[in-house]
Amino acid sequence: MTDIVLECRNLRKIYGKIVAVKDVSLEIREGDIKLMFGPSGSGKSTLARCLAMLTTPTEGDVFLTGECLTRPGVDLNKARARIGFVFQHIWLFHHLTALGNVELALRHVLKSPKKEARERAMQALREVKMEEWANHYPAQLSGGQQQRVGIARALAKDPKIIILDEPTSALDPELTGEVIDTLRDLARKGTTMLVISHEMPFAREVATEMIFFDEGTIVERGPAERFFTNPSSERARKFMARLIKRTRRE
Amino acid sequence: MDPIDKLTFILGGLPTTLAISILSFLLGFVIGIPLAFIRTYASKPFQNLVDGYEKVLRGVPEIVTMLFLYLGLGGIPVFGQPFANPFFAATFALGLRSGANQSQVFRGAIRGIGEEQMLSARSLGLSRLQAIIYVIAPQTFIIAAPGLGSEYALLVKDSAYAFILGVVEMMRQADTLRKITLDMVFPYTVAAVLYVLLTFPLATYLDVWGSRKKKQLGL
Repeated sequence: MTDIVLECRNLRKIYGKIVAVKDVSLEIREGDIKLMFGPSGSGKSTLARCLAMLTTPTEGDVFLTGECLTRPGVDLNKARARIGFVFQHIWLFHHLTALGNVELALRHVLKSPKKEARERAMQALREVKMEEWANHYPAQLSGGQQQRVGIARALAKDPKIIILDEPTSALDPELTGEVIDTLRDLARKGTTMLVISHEMPFAREVATEMIFFDEGTIVERGPAERFFTNPSSERARKFMARLIKRTRRE
Repeated sequence: MDPIDKLTFILGGLPTTLAISILSFLLGFVIGIPLAFIRTYASKPFQNLVDGYEKVLRGVPEIVTMLFLYLGLGGIPVFGQPFANPFFAATFALGLRSGANQSQVFRGAIRGIGEEQMLSARSLGLSRLQAIIYVIAPQTFIIAAPGLGSEYALLVKDSAYAFILGVVEMMRQADTLRKITLDMVFPYTVAAVLYVLLTFPLATYLDVWGSRKKKQLGL
């Protein structure tokens, strides 16, 4: 049994009258690659953001390597520094180069000395094959390149886990491939990940577990293979059928 | 007096005009930046406070603020004494007004950057203040540059009001020249041209620089 890196218990998030996440419990162990998928608006992103404590859960607890983050008085900045987060719409810092984007947290959150931060940032850019673009501004990069910098930015802090919220769904299909390749590399290195994605071939290849999420809750979870051959819930079956049809068309 | 002498006479007020404009701009900057961030990120009561400040200072004519500081506060012993100096009172009044304007310029810029950059910074573990310093503020300056240029131009023009408090600046020199020479046209024409020369280049430069940078960074 390996250690649990990130865990939530009975997590619930309510916006006004809308219950976005309903009593979800989930644990992610070291080396896990959890792939979460489900219809848009089902609350996947909200759950991801709650897990990274980017929004505060209304009820329930989040634990990072055993430490409860939902208790009052926890240093959330410190906790967030240990979680990598990659956004759907990327959101690099416009005024900084690729290198500057990756370096920022190393310098000001981890307080690494300048030289060390630079080396680590370059290394992270190398890992996503973007070192040649280190001195370019985000506006000078393609969407796929920007997202790879986004991944490097999350990676550089040596996080316990990386959460990726639909990292390819804002990209053109021809740019999706390069980002998926990057994720595949990370998977090969044993990076602990929670990926929200509908890239089914990728899921089948790397996911240690797939999670079907709908209407704010986990409908079904299990090994990837089962989802592709014989999902047990009717909703998952229908959704998978649609996804696979769409993938074939592409 | 030949025209060169007349011009030199009016230019004698130039350093003071520039001093009022630049100092009030800096004061406005020092006031405007924190106000903009308070107005965007602080809790409601503080936001309302800033709102009130902006409304009052943008609503009251500069000359009223100036006279209020100069004659009103200037008449109070000890604490009010700096305001008894007309140069100080005029500069301070314009600085307060500019603070209200610059707060709005910066607030618009911050809004243009959007909540995403803040969220993105927070996801890395930066505190709110760090995110403001390293992520939001630098982009704010770029977006705000054209607005700051026009604000500077406004201050150069409004510095002419200091003439009424008796500050010897360009407008005052032009008016004195009018009294000496009884020429009603030349002194004001020269003053008008000089004011345009003082405002136009910097405002244009900031506008062009800001727009180019914005385009380059995709802001």
